Amino acid sequence: MSKLPNKRALPSREAGQFKELLNLYESRQLKKGLKTADLILKKFPEHGETLCMKGLVLVHMGRREEGIDLVKKGVRLDLTSHIVWHVFGLIQKGEKNYEEALKSYTQALRFEKENINILRDAASLQTQLRLYDALVETRHTLLRLRPNLRQHWVALSIAHYLNGNTKDAKAVLESYLSTLKNVPPHDVEQSETLLFYITLLEELGEHSEALSVLDSNSRSRAIVDRTAVSETRARLLTKLGTPEAEEAWHTLLERNSDCYDYYAGYLSNKGHTLTEPSPAALQIVSDLAAEFPRAKAPKRLSLNLSTGDEFKSRAEAYIVTALVKGIPSLFSDLKSLYADPAKKDAIEEIVERLREHYKKETAIPSGSEEPTTYLWTLYLLAQHYSSLGQHKKALELLEEALEHTPTLPELHTFKGRVLKRAGDYLGAARCVNDARVLDGQDRFLNTKTGKYLLRAGMVKEASNVLGLFTKKDASSPGADLEDMQSMLYLLEEARAHEKNGHPNLALKKYMAVKKIYDEIEDDQYDFHGYCLRKFTLNAYVRMLKWEDNIRGQASYVTAALAASKIFVAAHDNPNLVKSLSSTSELTDAAKKAKKKAKKAAVKAVEEKKNAPTTATHDDKGIEPQSNKDDDPDGLKLLGAPDVLEQAAKLLAPLTAVAEGKGSVGVWCAVYDVAVRRGKVLQALSALGKAKGLDAESPEVHVRVVDLKLREAKLAEAVKEGVKKLYPGDVGVETFNSQYLQRQEGRAESVLACARVLGLLGAPLEEVDNAVFELLAGERAVGVKDAVKALEFLRSIKSGREEEFRAACDARFELSTAFKSKEEQAVIREQVMTRGPNGGKDEAVTP
Amino acid sequence: MNIRLARPDDLAGMQACNLQNLPENYTMRYYLYHAMTWPGLSFVAEDQKGRIVGYILAKIDEEAKEGEAPHGHVTSISVLRSYRRLGIAKKLMLQSQEAMAAIYKASFVSLHVRKSNRAALSLYRDTLGFTVKDIEKGYYADGEDAYAMELSLARFMIDTGTIPRRPTLEMNR
Repeated sequence: MSKLPNKRALPSREAGQFKELLNLYESRQLKKGLKTADLILKKFPEHGETLCMKGLVLVHMGRREEGIDLVKKGVRLDLTSHIVWHVFGLIQKGEKNYEEALKSYTQALRFEKENINILRDAASLQTQLRLYDALVETRHTLLRLRPNLRQHWVALSIAHYLNGNTKDAKAVLESYLSTLKNVPPHDVEQSETLLFYITLLEELGEHSEALSVLDSNSRSRAIVDRTAVSETRARLLTKLGTPEAEEAWHTLLERNSDCYDYYAGYLSNKGHTLTEPSPAALQIVSDLAAEFPRAKAPKRLSLNLSTGDEFKSRAEAYIVTALVKGIPSLFSDLKSLYADPAKKDAIEEIVERLREHYKKETAIPSGSEEPTTYLWTLYLLAQHYSSLGQHKKALELLEEALEHTPTLPELHTFKGRVLKRAGDYLGAARCVNDARVLDGQDRFLNTKTGKYLLRAGMVKEASNVLGLFTKKDASSPGADLEDMQSMLYLLEEARAHEKNGHPNLALKKYMAVKKIYDEIEDDQYDFHGYCLRKFTLNAYVRMLKWEDNIRGQASYVTAALAASKIFVAAHDNPNLVKSLSSTSELTDAAKKAKKKAKKAAVKAVEEKKNAPTTATHDDKGIEPQSNKDDDPDGLKLLGAPDVLEQAAKLLAPLTAVAEGKGSVGVWCAVYDVAVRRGKVLQALSALGKAKGLDAESPEVHVRVVDLKLREAKLAEAVKEGVKKLYPGDVGVETFNSQYLQRQEGRAESVLACARVLGLLGAPLEEVDNAVFELLAGERAVGVKDAVKALEFLRSIKSGREEEFRAACDARFELSTAFKSKEEQAVIREQVMTRGPNGGKDEAVTP
Repeated sequence: MNIRLARPDDLAGMQACNLQNLPENYTMRYYLYHAMTWPGLSFVAEDQKGRIVGYILAKIDEEAKEGEAPHGHVTSISVLRSYRRLGIAKKLMLQSQEAMAAIYKASFVSLHVRKSNRAALSLYRDTLGFTVKDIEKGYYADGEDAYAMELSLARFMIDTGTIPRRPTLEMNR
């Protein structure tokens, strides 16, 4: 390195103090460190490195802003010091600003090329950011500097692998394995390394080599994970097409005779699948069932593989066993067989017959069957009919069962489910709550009740119920569930808020889901170093792939699409925030939330004060403390000027996933945001993709018209693109009615056409008529479609909303979704108070 | 019911299952920590649709003293109420125990159970053969005591206690 700049060099006394400062920081003796830094700064107030270290110490002491100011000042005063850049990088990394942190680390490395700590951190940042080219380089440098460290070898191999260069990954690992000496017996790290090596060989198609490495190392017991050995072995032998494969799969079945993958492997080796009926496959599975009498899987698989009378006799035996044992999951176990209508009919016939039989046997005192068997038969039949949409029949069966045994929670929860399907959300919540009361210790029933209450829009009641199992010291039940990353709670409460007309509160919950995904992405950071130290290489690379795709998970997709919709609505309606702020109920809720948040914050501060003041407790860490929420009702978020940009950010990760999954909803959402942001090309391409996936989708239809209406304002250059989506010269009205005709009145399409009429500015009467088309004749309309239509009528301030509601109420007789406000209020009162015995004895509000 | 080794893409399903069933919950980071440290010890049960309906989250106790044999610990195990009576918990437990013995030479497995949770206590003691070793006062966040239970894994070892042999799913009948 070149000569030190004068202002950096300290006289020997201060240089010693600076060294001490570094040590004090490393051991987190923060107060002493601060004193030492001040000693140096007294004489050299412009010493950049000391300023940075002081700033870093202050950040750890919780004086974040002050500390960061000092760090920035320090950096400016000594731009060529690796220490200042390293400190700055640490701060940025603490803020999860990985890109900026990497820039700082890169600067630091310019002035200190071979600093191991900086190089390691840089490697972690490069992995986090998926900059695999750069990662390979960094790992190379580390290996060159410290080739005696084992993890540096595997780290380089992993880097090559992640960078798509499996051959080099293999070569590095081979050099490493060949130079290893004195490996202790039964070494888990060595075992994991060898398994990763075999993975590389397998992915390179070198199956025989992989097999021979596997066999020799499992024989010598260098590989200790026997499940992994057997699974890899069976897979490789199958790929090699050798006759030994059969035995290998069989070995696995002996180890775990309830693993479907093993059955699939065993059968595919003989040319069969788990799902395609065949007498030969059936014979194989029957033999396995005899060999593993305790295993459930082969008995169930035989129902997949048999047909006709063979199926009937097997299904009957299977069902009877489960009914006698009282297995609650029997229906969900059988359901997948319904894909074959003959099997569905056979099951119905069997269970109806069993019901007759058990009914008789149960009625006489000398009967040979247990009464509970009859009960589970009724339960199964109710599930069967409900799945076919025969809700009334299902309810009759459940009533008979409840008459018989009112204390079985499953009967109540399923009754709730039937009512939910029939559109009676309030009655559904009541039934599930009845089940909960029967077993208050069971969190499963508690969660279900919370969910059903939210479906019924009863947010406060849900919170009270859920609070029976959340931490008592949390600021609210919801806060604990959010801390524990409960997607179910967040999504259900968000939907409830939307339903109740509080999109701002809904948005808060959707954004909380997004934040959890941010956290899960951040979570992987520490494992970039950790897994290499632990040598859990296969698990690590699988984890990285999983992290790459987490935003394709249903919870994220749902939250992102719903939040984006709310952002778009806020953009389209500038008065939305104002109208939401004026509802008194909301301000009440907001006030309460504010008060609670304040209380919790005060409590947190006090708890910290009371904590014992050891060295470690003084350390507040380098990450920003989560500051308290200054927008508990989400109105600031909804009123922000950048709502569309926020929506675009939420959707961006989905487009990569949507390519694979092909979701019309995602591309429509992308269109909605892009077209409003003036990103016409992106809008056109998104709508094109949506149309490509489902040209007749009602959502696509509405947007094609929306695009056509915007055409006049678009640049000439992009009008060609519009033509591709909206071909021909027909007028928009004709286009709309042609679509309706083609759809032959599918409920969703009818509503889409009404929406289009709204877009076209048609007279209200005409739009109303289009919506009422839904109820004309014997059209197949579900409760959900009707609810959507009702909401649409409300949104356009139709004069016929009440008429539509009453018509739906008459049509959907089981549903309470179309009761008047007054009627609903009465029913709502009963939800928490009725109790499983008809409310004669207990009030169960928690 | 499909019983198999847990993979990283099962962790979200395991977390959701845990949140639905049990009062002790963990953030994803803790699940990741298990999966990235002891990738062979956690198992899941999935239904016909591939939904996680039961899981066992397990580890090797890291606080074992120098010279002590390592032992396994069940951090969390649960099965959705609607999938009970199928023996899933037992199957998950046995798979994990065998892996503890084979991979880490664990000599026994430990777990904690709420004093009030009779159903779980009966499963561990009567069905799986655990014994109560200790009562830990105020172990849970709400102040409830825990039974500390243990079960020897010697049956997964051949004589010398080092070489794992075939799984013994038929134990404890």
